[in-house]
Amino acid sequence: MSFLRIGKYLKTGRLKINTWLILFAGLLSFGALAPPQVEPSKEYQVKAVFLYNFTQFIEWPPEAFAQPDAPLVIGILGPDPFGKYLDETVQGEKINGHPLVVQRFHTLGEITHCQILFVSTDEKNRWKQIFEFAKTKHVLTVGDVANFSKQGGMIRFFPEENKIRIRINLTSVKAADLKVSSKLLRLAEIVEP
Amino acid sequence: MIAPCILLIAGVTLLPRCAYAQAPDNAFRVDTLKRLSLEELMNVEVTSVSKRPEKLKAAASAIQVITQEDIRQSGATSVPEALRLAPNLQVAQVNASQWAISARGFSNVLANKLLVLIDGRVVYTPMYAGVFWDVQNLVLEDIDRIEVISGPGGTLWGANAVNGVINIITKNSKDTQGLFAEAAVGSKLRGLGSLRYGGKLAKNLTYRVYGTAFKRGSTIYHPDSVETQDDWTIAQGGVRLDWAATEGDAVTFQTNLYNDRPNPDGNNPIVARGTNALARWAHSTSDKSNLQLQAYVDHTWRDFRNGFTEKLNTYDVEGQHRFRLGQRQEVIYGLGFRYMDHDVNNLELFAFEPARKSLYLFNVFLQDEIALVPERLRLTLGIKIEHNAYTAFQYQPNARLNWTPAPTQTVWAAVSRAVRNPARIDREFFLYLAPQLPFIAGSNFQSEEVLAYELGWRIQPQEGLSVSLATFYNVYDNIRSVEPGPAPLGIPITFGNGVKGHTHGAELSATYQLNGWWRLRGGYTYLEKNLKVKENSADANQGSAESNDPSHQVLLQSMMKLPARIELGTIFRYVGELPKPKVSEYVGLDIRLAWKLDQRIELNLVGQNLVKSSHTEFIPSSLVAKDIERSVYAKVVCRF
Repeated sequence: MSFLRIGKYLKTGRLKINTWLILFAGLLSFGALAPPQVEPSKEYQVKAVFLYNFTQFIEWPPEAFAQPDAPLVIGILGPDPFGKYLDETVQGEKINGHPLVVQRFHTLGEITHCQILFVSTDEKNRWKQIFEFAKTKHVLTVGDVANFSKQGGMIRFFPEENKIRIRINLTSVKAADLKVSSKLLRLAEIVEP
Repeated sequence: MIAPCILLIAGVTLLPRCAYAQAPDNAFRVDTLKRLSLEELMNVEVTSVSKRPEKLKAAASAIQVITQEDIRQSGATSVPEALRLAPNLQVAQVNASQWAISARGFSNVLANKLLVLIDGRVVYTPMYAGVFWDVQNLVLEDIDRIEVISGPGGTLWGANAVNGVINIITKNSKDTQGLFAEAAVGSKLRGLGSLRYGGKLAKNLTYRVYGTAFKRGSTIYHPDSVETQDDWTIAQGGVRLDWAATEGDAVTFQTNLYNDRPNPDGNNPIVARGTNALARWAHSTSDKSNLQLQAYVDHTWRDFRNGFTEKLNTYDVEGQHRFRLGQRQEVIYGLGFRYMDHDVNNLELFAFEPARKSLYLFNVFLQDEIALVPERLRLTLGIKIEHNAYTAFQYQPNARLNWTPAPTQTVWAAVSRAVRNPARIDREFFLYLAPQLPFIAGSNFQSEEVLAYELGWRIQPQEGLSVSLATFYNVYDNIRSVEPGPAPLGIPITFGNGVKGHTHGAELSATYQLNGWWRLRGGYTYLEKNLKVKENSADANQGSAESNDPSHQVLLQSMMKLPARIELGTIFRYVGELPKPKVSEYVGLDIRLAWKLDQRIELNLVGQNLVKSSHTEFIPSSLVAKDIERSVYAKVVCRF
């Protein structure tokens, strides 16, 4: 990653100034001199790390994967609020032999292989189909819109006192043959259908 | 040749974290978040960092907040050590287990002008109106924040909030789910272990149970560096329950018990035991109105092992109601009642008379916050009326003006009156030379008073940087004096109200989040005292006995999250000379290096007071100076 960025400065012809600034910054541990970059909001950074964490606290049935070393796909359905952050979070990570991969989908039809599906705000009208699809294909559905978990979504992020909390619809999770670890359950709010 | 290579490597490895540095709202680094446990992840504040500071920005008083993160990254191992992180407090360690803690002067082992609360429970002894710091123990990980207000606490806080308030708030048990374990061992911190488990009993009903214990080694005598045998051990445990009954109702119940063995004199260890239990119900009908009721029982017992014992039972109930009145006013009123049963076992020549005394305190308060110009100018008027067992009715009014010329700036001014009511030592203490021949005798001591004028300014010149300046001019009257008795012997000595005078000073503080991985905070405090003996007094100490304060004090705390899951924390302290008894100025340096192996395990290596092999911080009235030595400890923390 770091080398890629240096390559970028080379192209823009700012190498000399930037490298020296960066070296200087490094020496002083003073990061404020570095070039600006567009970042997702803190909220979605934290949510991205939650998605990554779910891979460790959810157990999928064997039939959810084609082969034992098939990738574990975290899909985003609709507009992507995470930017590069989700990719950076899962980069190089493996869970039980499954490398983590991020894929972006515009429609439900595009999805062939997916274990976690983040359903973006725009998909509200298609919840019914999405949840039905998730149930048969063992996909963990995650969203952050009001009523997401009450209507049958599995995990919903919701804000509370500046922090992000999670709400789990256990009925939906069980219907898709997924298992949630007790650690995650303890920290989450459980929704009664 | 090698040097440029190292530079290059340094530059390259440091590049990824630099890249996030200027992101609009101080974005997190990927690995910073990834190394957090689920529980910690849920405690990350995601809306702008300034949510809480924004509230601070609007407050018309000199308030400083020490967050959990500041404490964790400081390497502090006790509540007094954590209090050192407040630039507006004077914290001096006297020996292994005793501390002199105050704000705006009057620091002393028996300091009596500071109100200290832990989760809404007042921790002080009416014996001397001060705090036994050795029994104010907590698992530091469970502290949510410590609010330190310097200056009169005003209407909302109780008696003793003459020079400041320390308000320690622990986390809701909802935020301490799962297992937490820590174990530390070191040169002075001989051993520390804590275990906490948080769980869920039902929907919206969470709990935590904890146990913690430590042993701390002795200080050394000044100047000959001989061990003093004042080592200290304590064990403590407790439970907290939080029930979010409905959207608008929150119920909290907590209880703690401890068994403490401090040994400040180094001859025979004191035995101190205590239990306390508190229940609180907060009810909000809308965001415009909320009601809070609280009750607690606190039992403490202390055996000084020379025959003198102190037993104290405190019962307290209080309620308050806050509501909007029309478009522009916010009213808060409340009342409280406290009953204290204080019982000592006297020695033949050292006695409180009567040995057992029932003390009560009744108070009502009313405060109105008026928006004179919406969003711009606010006026707060308040009064607290207290009735205590010694000096009957006491009035503590205050007026505060808060001007916000821009969203990032606040200028405030306040005038307040506060009192320090008599404690048992002021009125009922007798020290005999021989039976029936008192050297010190009880008296008719009255309340001490302060009239405080404050002017403050708070500004956020850029995202991530906030600066605060608070200045004060305090006029004191009826401060405690030591009056000689009738001629020819000049005994018995009694306590009088023969000292008056003024103090003035300034508290400058700042926090600076440079980027996603580096945070700085610190401050400078200046204090000037001018106390004199009143005409009708013959104070034996010329007004100097009540306090020993530095004029200058500096604090700088740096917190860095480095790559490879490493954290580096540094604390630099400068405390100026104390005049009488004289204690030299000193510089303190603490360094914490922590490495997170994974989400669960964290290793810490901490060095405290690294500058000199030993230094004195405070000399108590016994004039035996003890020195605090340089020390190191290692700690393992597990979060499951």
